[in-house]
Amino acid sequence: MIELREVSKTVMSGTEPLTILHPLSIQIARGRFLAVVGPSGSGKSTLLGLIAGLDAPTSGSVLIDEVDITRLDEDRLAKLRGEKIGFVFQFFHLIPSLTALENVSVPMEIIGLRDARQRAEALLEEVGLTGRAHHYPSQLSGGEQQRVALARALANRPPIVLADEPTGNLDTTNGRHIMELLRKIHEQRGTTIVLVTHDVELASLADSRIVLRDGRVVERVDRDVTAARAGAER
Amino acid sequence: MMFVLRMAVRETRASWRRLLFFFLCIAVGVAAIVTLRSVIQSVRGVFGREARSLIAADVLLSTNIEWTPEARQTIDRRLSEFGANERTESIETPTMSRPADGRPVARMVELRAVQREFPLYGTIGLQDGRAYSYALLQQHGVLVRPELLTALAVKVGDEIKIGQSLFTIRGVITTEAGRRVGGFSLGPRVLIDYDDLASTGLLGVGSRARRVLLVRVPDDSIEPLVRALRRDFREQFVSARSYRSNDDEVGRDFDRAENYLSLVGLVIVILGGIAISSVTRVFIAQKIRSIAVLKCVGARSNQIMVVYVLQVLALGLAGSLFGVLLARATLAAIPIAFGASTSILAEADYGLSWSAAAQGVTIGMLVSLLFSLVPLMQVRNVKPSLLLRDESTANRRDWTKLAVMVGVSLGLVGVAAWQAASLRVGLAVCLGFAGLAFVLQLAGRMLIVLIAPLTKSPSFPLRHAVLHLSRPGNQTRMILFAVGLGAFFVVGVRSLQASLLQEFSVQVSEDAPDMFLLDIQRGQADGVRAFLADGTHGASHVRLMPVLRARVTGVSGRETNLETFDDVRARGSLAREYTITYRDHLEPNERITVGAFWSGASTEPEVSVEQGIHERFKIDVGDIMRFDILGRIINARVSSVREVDWRDARSGGFMFVFRPGSLDEAPQTFIAPLKGPNDPAARAKFQHDLVEQFPNVSVIDFHEILETVRDIMSKVTLAVTVVGALVLFSGALILIGAVAMTKFQRVYEAAVLKTLGANTRTIAKMLLFEYGVLGSLAGVVGSLGAIGLTWGVSRYALEIPWRIFAGEHIGGVVLTAALVAVIGVVSSLDVLKNKPLATLRAE
Repeated sequence: MIELREVSKTVMSGTEPLTILHPLSIQIARGRFLAVVGPSGSGKSTLLGLIAGLDAPTSGSVLIDEVDITRLDEDRLAKLRGEKIGFVFQFFHLIPSLTALENVSVPMEIIGLRDARQRAEALLEEVGLTGRAHHYPSQLSGGEQQRVALARALANRPPIVLADEPTGNLDTTNGRHIMELLRKIHEQRGTTIVLVTHDVELASLADSRIVLRDGRVVERVDRDVTAARAGAER
Repeated sequence: MMFVLRMAVRETRASWRRLLFFFLCIAVGVAAIVTLRSVIQSVRGVFGREARSLIAADVLLSTNIEWTPEARQTIDRRLSEFGANERTESIETPTMSRPADGRPVARMVELRAVQREFPLYGTIGLQDGRAYSYALLQQHGVLVRPELLTALAVKVGDEIKIGQSLFTIRGVITTEAGRRVGGFSLGPRVLIDYDDLASTGLLGVGSRARRVLLVRVPDDSIEPLVRALRRDFREQFVSARSYRSNDDEVGRDFDRAENYLSLVGLVIVILGGIAISSVTRVFIAQKIRSIAVLKCVGARSNQIMVVYVLQVLALGLAGSLFGVLLARATLAAIPIAFGASTSILAEADYGLSWSAAAQGVTIGMLVSLLFSLVPLMQVRNVKPSLLLRDESTANRRDWTKLAVMVGVSLGLVGVAAWQAASLRVGLAVCLGFAGLAFVLQLAGRMLIVLIAPLTKSPSFPLRHAVLHLSRPGNQTRMILFAVGLGAFFVVGVRSLQASLLQEFSVQVSEDAPDMFLLDIQRGQADGVRAFLADGTHGASHVRLMPVLRARVTGVSGRETNLETFDDVRARGSLAREYTITYRDHLEPNERITVGAFWSGASTEPEVSVEQGIHERFKIDVGDIMRFDILGRIINARVSSVREVDWRDARSGGFMFVFRPGSLDEAPQTFIAPLKGPNDPAARAKFQHDLVEQFPNVSVIDFHEILETVRDIMSKVTLAVTVVGALVLFSGALILIGAVAMTKFQRVYEAAVLKTLGANTRTIAKMLLFEYGVLGSLAGVVGSLGAIGLTWGVSRYALEIPWRIFAGEHIGGVVLTAALVAVIGVVSSLDVLKNKPLATLRAE
């Protein structure tokens, strides 16, 4: 369960304060697939960063499984991310000096899993990259890199996966492939997924979505509504 | 822990090329430390281990007059009191030797007449491998050094004439206990039986023979015995010393050499450390995204820190071990450099000293860790949110980092103090280092302010170069800091090196006299002058100086009043016998500090005293000194104080110089320093002809000694130059490190400028301006700092006069500027060549 209570974010732009996110409250129940949609600069990525504890809110609190993460120090936050949150970025952010297999192993090694290597191999198989395990990121295509990133995000079987424009840097085919994988994870593992995108079509794959504009929520679409509409169209 | 270890291995695997530089810096620094330490320990060992056999006794008593019965009584009493269990006597005197067959050659030798028990320590090695025995000397036998065989063209079994007696050569000495170290010998050693000495007739009146008593005593009695004997013979011309005092004298020279080399070693290590700091900074800057990713997937800051610290330690260890290997190779090359040299330095065994190796490796690891720790602290400030959007890391006041910086500074002081074997020196070096860093930071700020008006320059490259120097996140202060420190150390060490070498060269210049004629009688002076002036004999730089033996018997002056000779004796060395001279001019190595030097002769006795006499005994201009010159009493007025540069031995040095007039008729002899013919055959003939014509004149030939000293000096010069080059190399490493540090930023900028239409030439010019200005300023600040460094080190560490070598400093500035400009532009070549799109995409 993810809960944001009156969370806001203001930064200094030169000498002027600039509000990126106006106070907002959201509850994301366990096992949901939420899409956060909005144009560039609307505060989507900031919201995702706040949920992951990558950034601290100016006001309000962020609760993950009822723990207020705004009160945790950096190391506890890192531990929490390692155990509960998987991350997928638009620019993949693989570690260039490690092979695909090693990139996937890292989160498991950090928490001291003994069978990290075997699990990493299994994960790569799951995303269809068995043959590419010993390649470095620079030797992989964009789509392959993103699949490695996805395998890495799943390494510690996190209950939550946060994806920031995961298809933004990919062509349509590869983008679709990644989305299918995300859906599969959501359905098979019951993982909570928060997907940030500006692509409305992708967002429609989610159970529910919120639309941000200039740091405010301008629209919330419930899962049942979506499902009902989908049913009507069908 | 497994994660940390695995990551450290993977990171090293991935970045080893970039870290090669790190490795190199440490290797060079450690190699320097280990080599310098090993060499100094080896050479010191040669002297130290052999200290006892160098004087062949525990305690040595010597006098230039015959032992009086009273003196013998005192000695006997003391020796039995301190449990001396063995003693032997010998007599040493320089004399001429000739072949018995009357051929026209002669050679000055150092004759030593010994008894059965000699030597008490050490051995006498013979060329054919036989063991030395006293029997070889008995019945007019003689053992000689190989040089004499060559000089006189004789062989074992032949007879040679020493004084009035004939001796048969029974063997050739290769190594010899009781050889004096450091002092000059007047000729090759010749050993005869003590009992045969009388027959030579060399012990007559006016003989320069030195009587020596060698004693063996239990270890704990050595120093008390020496002290007691010194007390007993305070007022007589008997000196007592132990093998340790011999060691101490030599030890001082070694301390000086070791201090210098330790400081140079330290400098090389610090230069390496600065380069390491630069490299680590670049390395971490390039790793920021990876660090953010690691944090994002759950790694804690400390875990990541440990990954990099482990890497640093592994590199430090590998670099240090490689440095030890380099040192080993260098040490192996030293005997090759010495070649067939016969100097005592060539006798040392230049092995790798394990203590030096251990010290080198420890310092290598410590320096790697200390210099990389502060840049590594950056890891803590990396925020995983930068994966979502670009943001600069906040510059909050970081107390942990501050604490680490304090700890690192203390660690560096510790390393410096350890390396220089003195907390004071270590602290001084580190404070100087910090002071210079501060000045360089300040200079950087001032430069930015001063060149601000140039941003309005009509030249595009100049305008942009200036903008680069002052923009946010500029490289100005970092490059100034690193290069300025490099220039400071390199110019400083080179100036010190020049200073040291000049110090040496004064002592062994080419036109230094290499022959001395002694005991020229007054009646022979004109004849000897004519002989030397005869061009066919090949002598040059000849001067005849009158010398007299004199003793100070009283002083009446403003501060010092010594009525009787007993009063003078109470002043220690003032009572010794002095060799004096008279002349109407100053020598080139003399300078008047008080009063005025006379011109012309006067019957009124006047004397000029040496600075040391003036200071130690408080004898001033206007005081009257009473001298006993061979029984004749002369009261002379002190009219000037002279400073003598004792290192410049070409003109000799006298404590007392008299005004011509009053001493002209006193009993005197002449000495003549001169430069003899260079050809060995001509030298032999010169000596023979001179001795034939003036039999009483002694010839002391310094040629071989000077050659040996020159040989050693050229080796030392080579060593010092190599060390200087090593420092220069480290300086260049720093520069490369500093340039590399800001390169990634420049590559991107150049790509943008190219996209906007700037051509390669414009960008090259821009880089040239930027680095030229930085290099010049770094050179100026470093060079000025080096003046301070040489002053402090010359005065306090090396105890030599302070000299400024303008060439080194000006050259330092010009070279630094040129080097920075060239390295800056060359290392940016790919910036100039690259197609901009590739660079922009990579960003």
